[in-house]
Amino acid sequence: MIQYFKDLFSGIWNLLQGMRITMINFIRKPITEQYPENRGVKVYAERFRGELKMPHNDANEHKCTACGICQMNCPNGTIKVISKQITLEDGKTKKALDKYLYDLGTCTFCGLCTMNCPQKAITWSNNFEHSVFRRETLVKQLNNEGSQLEVKKAVVTPQQ
Amino acid sequence: MITFGEIINNVHQGLTDALPAWLAATIEYVIIGAGFLGLYCVLALILILLERKICARFQCRIGPNRVGPWGLFQSVADMVKILLKEIISINNTDKVLFKTAMFLAIAGSFCTFGALQFGDGLACIDFNVGLFYILAISSLGVVGILLAGWSSNNKYTLIGAMRSGAQLISYELSAGIAIMTMVVLAGSLNISDIIAGQSKAWFIFQAPIPALIAFIIYLIAGHAETNRGPFDLPEAESELTAGYHTEYSGIQFGFFYLAEYLNMFIIAGVAATVFLGGWQPFQINAEWAEGFNSVMAYIPSWIWFMGKTFALVLLSLWVRWTFPRLRIDQLLKLEWKILMPISLVNLLIMAGWVLIF
Amino acid sequence: MKKIQEIISAVGASNIEGQQYPTICVEPNQLRKTAEQLKKEGFDVLLNLTGMDYNECFGVIYHLTSTANKNAMLVVKVNTASREDATIPTVSDIWQSANLYEREAYDFFGIQFINHPDLRRLFLRQDWKGFPFRKDYDADPKLNPVPLVNQTVEDMENMPSLRFDKDGKVITDHKGLFDKNEYVVNIGPQHPATHGVLHLRVSLDGEIINKVDPNFGYIHRGIEKMCESKTYPQILQLTERLDYLSGTINRHAFCLCVEKALGLEVPKRAQAVRIIFDELTRIASHLLGWGCMCMDMGSITAFIYGMRDREKIMDIFEETGGGRLMVGYNVIGGLANEVSPKFVDQVKEFIPYMRKMIKEYHILFTNNPIAKGRMENIGFLTKEAAASLGVTGPTGRASGWSCDVRKIEPYAGYDQLNFEEVLRSEGGTFDRYLIRLDEIEQSLRIIEQLIDNLPDDGFKAKTPAIIKLPEGEYYQRVENARGDFGVYINSKGDKNPYRVKFRSPCMTLISALDPLCRNEKIADLIMIGASLDYVIPCADR
Repeated sequence: MIQYFKDLFSGIWNLLQGMRITMINFIRKPITEQYPENRGVKVYAERFRGELKMPHNDANEHKCTACGICQMNCPNGTIKVISKQITLEDGKTKKALDKYLYDLGTCTFCGLCTMNCPQKAITWSNNFEHSVFRRETLVKQLNNEGSQLEVKKAVVTPQQ
Repeated sequence: MITFGEIINNVHQGLTDALPAWLAATIEYVIIGAGFLGLYCVLALILILLERKICARFQCRIGPNRVGPWGLFQSVADMVKILLKEIISINNTDKVLFKTAMFLAIAGSFCTFGALQFGDGLACIDFNVGLFYILAISSLGVVGILLAGWSSNNKYTLIGAMRSGAQLISYELSAGIAIMTMVVLAGSLNISDIIAGQSKAWFIFQAPIPALIAFIIYLIAGHAETNRGPFDLPEAESELTAGYHTEYSGIQFGFFYLAEYLNMFIIAGVAATVFLGGWQPFQINAEWAEGFNSVMAYIPSWIWFMGKTFALVLLSLWVRWTFPRLRIDQLLKLEWKILMPISLVNLLIMAGWVLIF
Repeated sequence: MKKIQEIISAVGASNIEGQQYPTICVEPNQLRKTAEQLKKEGFDVLLNLTGMDYNECFGVIYHLTSTANKNAMLVVKVNTASREDATIPTVSDIWQSANLYEREAYDFFGIQFINHPDLRRLFLRQDWKGFPFRKDYDADPKLNPVPLVNQTVEDMENMPSLRFDKDGKVITDHKGLFDKNEYVVNIGPQHPATHGVLHLRVSLDGEIINKVDPNFGYIHRGIEKMCESKTYPQILQLTERLDYLSGTINRHAFCLCVEKALGLEVPKRAQAVRIIFDELTRIASHLLGWGCMCMDMGSITAFIYGMRDREKIMDIFEETGGGRLMVGYNVIGGLANEVSPKFVDQVKEFIPYMRKMIKEYHILFTNNPIAKGRMENIGFLTKEAAASLGVTGPTGRASGWSCDVRKIEPYAGYDQLNFEEVLRSEGGTFDRYLIRLDEIEQSLRIIEQLIDNLPDDGFKAKTPAIIKLPEGEYYQRVENARGDFGVYINSKGDKNPYRVKFRSPCMTLISALDPLCRNEKIADLIMIGASLDYVIPCADR
């Protein structure tokens, strides 16, 4: 009989303790993020793999030599590098990038392309707003129209 | 100050003077019916919004905040949506029972709602067995739930309905006995008499020990009767998806939803009436407290009633969003091994209390 | 327990040299005798069963271990007589875990296990044509078009079992799973409490459960088959998608396996960071497991608290690894890049926060009499049953089976760390619940030891540009959040593996549902399922 009441009161006590915890959380600041409103305010992790992109410099030049290593490494056939032959000033022909196609719809964001790129020509941006109305729009051309390979400046070694 | 009772009496006087008695009565009935329906719906909307907001805060969230300022019109938008939704008709159901069930559920709660006294003179029906009527008519809901579960021809709903039947019938007992305990103190089943008896001090203060025990038991049992967590076994969304109303869609589901929320309000309302003095203000029965008493009495009676009821509703929400769900055998054990014996003993204590004091 | 060499000679087989674990080869007709003897000698756990297609014949590889002698591992290999005569006697009555494993091997390779009581297909539909993991499988969609009709209930319940007749021909007997007048309720594939797309067919008597029959394959993606056509770095991203809640640990396991095969020395710093990531993943997974268990008992608030605190870990992952759920931070040879400058501070901030929150969890839920009443005295799993079912991880340890791979076969420097293997003895639901919260404490301890003194010797070892594994078989066990996760790689020296098999802890966990739930109530089925904390993509693969 004593045990019965002991159990009863300890049960009620523990229930009240649980209610205390929820009340503490009632007073705490909510952790909800107000997404469209905090756009531009919230800081996203720099390394977040949102979408593949190819940085261009001011002169509309990129670093991609169209070697195709990224295409080979991609597990899902997301990347398609279309190259063209261009003639240089000295008459030689050289392989250059024509179109760099990236299919966001099949990308699993594994990062093998950026990890293996010898020129570091492609990087991840942390844009995560991918929704579009048509599936075709997910296939993106990463190199800008009329862009060119960035010419490496010969490093001038200071003469002593 | 003009009370509601005076307004109503004036209107009644005016109508009976101008019109024949039968027409006046009909018009009065229609007005009151429409008024109560409107109040019923508005209260449901408020309660739904309140629950969503409160539960969000318990969970460190914000809750609905897109429709209107602070999301105030969220439940209005939900209501419009639910009204526009298609009512999916399901093959192999018992068509008649399937369509009757929700009306029974909502009729049970609406009839109980009508017996509440919202303020001084703000009561629809007031007769000598008011409390008995409340206890009796609120059991109608269980028939609706059982029929819904049975007629849906679905294994989940059937299990939900059976659980619900077992639960409601058992908890009705201790809820009834808890009320009986207070009836012993009040000496009347008439709701007006019960409220009038608390004008000096609420019943919970008149007989502190047995009344408090009865109060707690009534809250637990009432909570169980509303099918809300930790007693939400008939719905048990993680086990039975939605329990007895799994197959209902659109406004058919809306009826069950409304009834559930209003039942919560009704249980809180009855508890406020029987234990916390209904619309009676808080009074201290002493010479020195006259100023305080008159300030309390200045607050309109319907605010007192609503305030008490909503405070109890908040308590119920707090409980609901803290505790896990019981299992069916534990649920019945709680009723038959803990609540029932305690409330029976409590009834005796109360009888002794009334005899002695 | 005797020395393994003695046991091997006692069963009359000889060890095959040059393997990672002691290995013996057995003829199919000798298998049952050998298996019974091995069980008697103490090998009471069938950890893994791998089907193989050796082109000329099929084979099955059994990985055995023991509860008494934790470090003992024995590999038994059985080859069928030929491709046409692919029969092997069943061992499902000796080790219960073989039940599902053999069904899987039958489903994928068409290996016929004689006398298996229930040789239905496990993942594919019962009317599937062909056996997809055979090297000569024709993947023509015309052979197996997208079905437009549902699988019939008769098909799903028809349990074939094979036996030899007098002339040695294989004949099939059929038996129904449920009686005609049993009240069978479908739980899933779409159900709030199955934690994924698992389909449970439950036979009920009122609220009491008679029998549970799990149906797999709703999220089967053929990851093991995909692995055979991918290079090793490409496989890494698939490993994270097995058990997505302990993805980092799975990825770590695959990296370790490849590194072991290549003989790569991983820098100490990389190892330390890998362990921190593993333990953070374990905490995140246990938090979710705890939350889901609370939610299945009706306490949604507790679930949200679990998710809220898990989010902190996700933020740490995002900052350093670049992904939240699929972190993709471990690569072969080390880490993808140096840890973020904020990493150390974030982790240090997290540890005290988590400790505080665990106290709140205990007050909110563990001490709650309703929760206690529901979890206590329910769903007991004995140590013997756990071993026979191959149930590892927190569930196995709740039954008192010391099966923590971090202690048994320490990898990546776990042997230098000071932590306890949390063990309980009863094996009830409440033990399984408590053990997760206690393991969070231990994980925090491990992180605390590492975070202050990360070594400084680079984050990645030099790896060849194209990774080709030397010919051979490699097996790596790690402890993921749900149990013993194993990676088996069979390489023919190519840049693609010949066969990859993942030992998923979740499949054995699901197989424990039926024995645990019999004679309990539906509400308990949901809760026991949550206490086992299985992840369906891990079981389905």
